[in-house]
Order: sequence, then C-alpha cells, then structure tokens
Amino acid sequence: MPNLPYHDPFKEERKEHPAIATEFDGDPVAMILGFKEVREAARNYEKFSSDAPFRVPIPREEDVRTVRQYPLEVDPPVHAQYRKIVEPFFKRPTQPEYIARMGKMIGELLAGACQRDSIEVVREFAIPLQSRALTYLLNMPESEAEVWIKWGTHVFRDASGVSKGAEMEAYCNELFDQAEAHPGEDFFSALTQASFEGRPLTRQELLGYANIAFAGGRDTIINTVSTIIAYFAGHPEELNWLRNDPKNIVVAGEELIRYTTPLTHIGRLCPVDTEAYGVPVKAGDLISLCWASANFDETVFQNPETVQLDRKPNPHIAFGNGIHNCLGAAHARLIVRTLLQKLCEMASSITILSETRNVEKEAAYERCNAYAELAVIIQPI
Amino acid sequence: MSQVTFISPQGEKIVVKNAMGNLMEIATEHDVEGIEGNCGGVCSCGTCHVWVEPEWLERVGQASEIERGILNFEDNSNERSRLCCQIEMTDDLDGIVVKVAN
Repeated sequence: MPNLPYHDPFKEERKEHPAIATEFDGDPVAMILGFKEVREAARNYEKFSSDAPFRVPIPREEDVRTVRQYPLEVDPPVHAQYRKIVEPFFKRPTQPEYIARMGKMIGELLAGACQRDSIEVVREFAIPLQSRALTYLLNMPESEAEVWIKWGTHVFRDASGVSKGAEMEAYCNELFDQAEAHPGEDFFSALTQASFEGRPLTRQELLGYANIAFAGGRDTIINTVSTIIAYFAGHPEELNWLRNDPKNIVVAGEELIRYTTPLTHIGRLCPVDTEAYGVPVKAGDLISLCWASANFDETVFQNPETVQLDRKPNPHIAFGNGIHNCLGAAHARLIVRTLLQKLCEMASSITILSETRNVEKEAAYERCNAYAELAVIIQPI
Repeated sequence: MSQVTFISPQGEKIVVKNAMGNLMEIATEHDVEGIEGNCGGVCSCGTCHVWVEPEWLERVGQASEIERGILNFEDNSNERSRLCCQIEMTDDLDGIVVKVAN
C-alpha cells in the first residue's frame, strides 16, 4: 500500500514561523513556509530576485548546465519580453486537435499497460508519456521522444547519479543548427527566428530556453503521474466515484496536483541584506518559496493532508505564483485531466506490487515526493 | 433566461444570452479575450479576473476570504475585482456587465 495519507514535513515549523533559516549543500537559505507569505514573496522581485543564473533551482545548477534559463532566471522589465517570445507555444494545449492527440496517446499507453502482467510506472509509463507529450508542446516529430526518454526522470539529477546535462546541451546545439539551416514550425525554429529588443536571440539565450523546456516540466510531470496512479491503487473507491461522475475530473485533477506539489520549492536571490518574515538574509544569499508547505497550510486548506477530490475552492500554488508561474501549466493540466479520464474509462483497479519512494533528504526536512520505482498491475475494465 | 455582457480589454462587448453556469465557464465558451480559467474554477489560477460594474456590485456580493486572498495579489486588482469562476449566473444577475481585468 502506498504511504498515505501524505505527511507534510513542514507542518510543525509552519505553525510556529512563516519562515525558517536552513541550508542546502552548505548554502544558507531562508525557506518561506506560509501560504500568504509565499504568495507575497513570489511577487516581490525587487527584494527576492530571479536575476540569478543557476541559483533559482535549489540545489544550485552550475555543475550541470552552462546557460542561464529563460524566462525563468530574469526579472522585470526584460522578463515580459523573454516570456512573450515563447507564450504562443505554451497556449497550444487548449487547441482541440492537441487535446485529441493527447487523449489518443495516453489511451494507447494505458491500453498497453493493461495488457501486460505488470508495469513499472515510472520508467515504462510516466517517462514515455511525458516525453511523447512534450513533442506535442514543442511541435516536434513524435519519434524524437525516443531520444528524450533516455534522459531519465530528471535530466540533471536522475537516480542513476549520472547528469545528462552536457548530452542535452549538445543535442540542443544540434537542434538549433538544424533550425537555423532549415527552419520548420517547431519551438526551436521559432526561437531562431524570434526577435528580442530588435535583435535575434544569441545562441546562449536559445540554449537557455531549450534547457528549461527539457528540464523544467520533466520530473514534475513524471512524479505527478506516478503519484496519481499510486493514489488510485490505494483508493479504488475514489476512482469509482470519479468514473461515476467524470464531470469532477477537472476539480479532482487540481486536488491531485496540489497533493503532489511535485516541485517542492524554488529559489530567489536577495541582492541586498534583508530579512524574510523574521529570518535575516545576507546579500547574495537565497530565500526559498516553498510551494509544498504553502499548499498544506491549514489556515487555507482544511484537512490538507487528505485528498478531497471535490475540494473547491482550492487556491493551490503548485504551478508557482506571479509572473514566473509555470509556462507549462496548461500542458500539465491537460496531461493530468486526460490521465484521469482514461483511467476512468479503462482501468477497473490498480494493484501495487512494489514501490520505492523518492525521499528528499535535506537539513530541515525529509519529504516523500512520488516514486523512484512503482510496479503495478492495472486491471482493465 | 439570464444575460451577461463581458467587456474585453479592447472595449469589445460580448453579450451572451441564456447564460448558464459560472461566468468563467460562460466566458471561455464564448472565447472572451483575457479570461482563461486554467484551473477549471477552483479559485487557484487567477486567470478569470474581472471588474464588476458598480451597479451590479451589491447583487453579486462579496468575494470569499480565499478569493479575496488571491485577488489581493493580482495585478489590476481593485474593490470591484472578482474571480468570475466564483460568480454563478442566476436570474437575479440577468443583465450583469463585467470588464475583463487582465
């Protein structure tokens, strides 16, 4: 049985303080825990800046990439211009043909899973699902997914211990060479033809967009998919409830996204000495916006550690908040809603054979975040 | 049946007759610019922000504490702001006019 209900590792600290002083890999970090405080800090870019290459993700990423990620690691006013360049691609998930394609792909994957004696959800279901879905978002041939699947759950920090960061940068350089020589209708071609303040994007900027396009929505989606499958294995009655009333799929999807909150937190750099909700922060040090704590704040969410598939309102901030909110949110939401729809249509029950949780072990907390391995039997209808 | 008018950021009026459901659902069904409703109406994403025309404020009623908490941090927020996913169309609101805030 999965380890449910969820254990919120920030609960006790958050009751006492809206922020705590801790460290990651030796770097001091003020973690902001309260829902209201996280939302407020996410919008204060002058005090808590994203103009910090390699420092916005925690732990820092100088060792696994060479380029600043766009538009994640820039502040206003240039942020809006960088973001606008790629926004049209991230609106594609609302198009009817895109939705239909996603339905067909996830339906096929699930049908394949149902036919097998058992399936390892992370490697054999969630990673292929995420990679194939990404070809739709970036308007690339679906065959490219075969390359991306080999990068594992997390391009930079896969459980194997091998970073695929350098391999991915080399691959992206090749993509941009091809796009410049023979532009098509894909994301990479669009970037090579884009204009920023009247000039083309530099190769470093191009690579920075590509880097987060591949790394940003990867482990997050994979972890959400495995968490959802495990949740319904432990709660067959909830899957039946959804099946009987599929109009609840959208609301249920939001609750499962809140419950998973696959990105625990994200960093901001303080340009000058300051304080974050009672924690002093030195110039050049980080704060963390802890989405995982905010989404379980009992002053906002009743019984936060329990999944309530009909939870409404549900003001979760699993996709972040403010100007840097997740560009891929519409794509991720479509994946979750489609997965729920197909599970309702195709899966009568799910049985867990074996599981290994991902555990984030840090100085201030240990957080279970999805699965390193999850073997299940999916019984078809 | 009830009618609702959305005024787009460019000033275009979109009039929907026989409107049913919440205002976010009605707006997205009619492609009202600036209303996205990404979260499906659970008061999470803030992409259905409108300003209620003054004469309708009283009948629409106050935002809940949770909704107010979202709106307090939204751009262009004022005392007439609402997330329109939280406004259910009723006969009492027949003729309501809201402006898209984003």
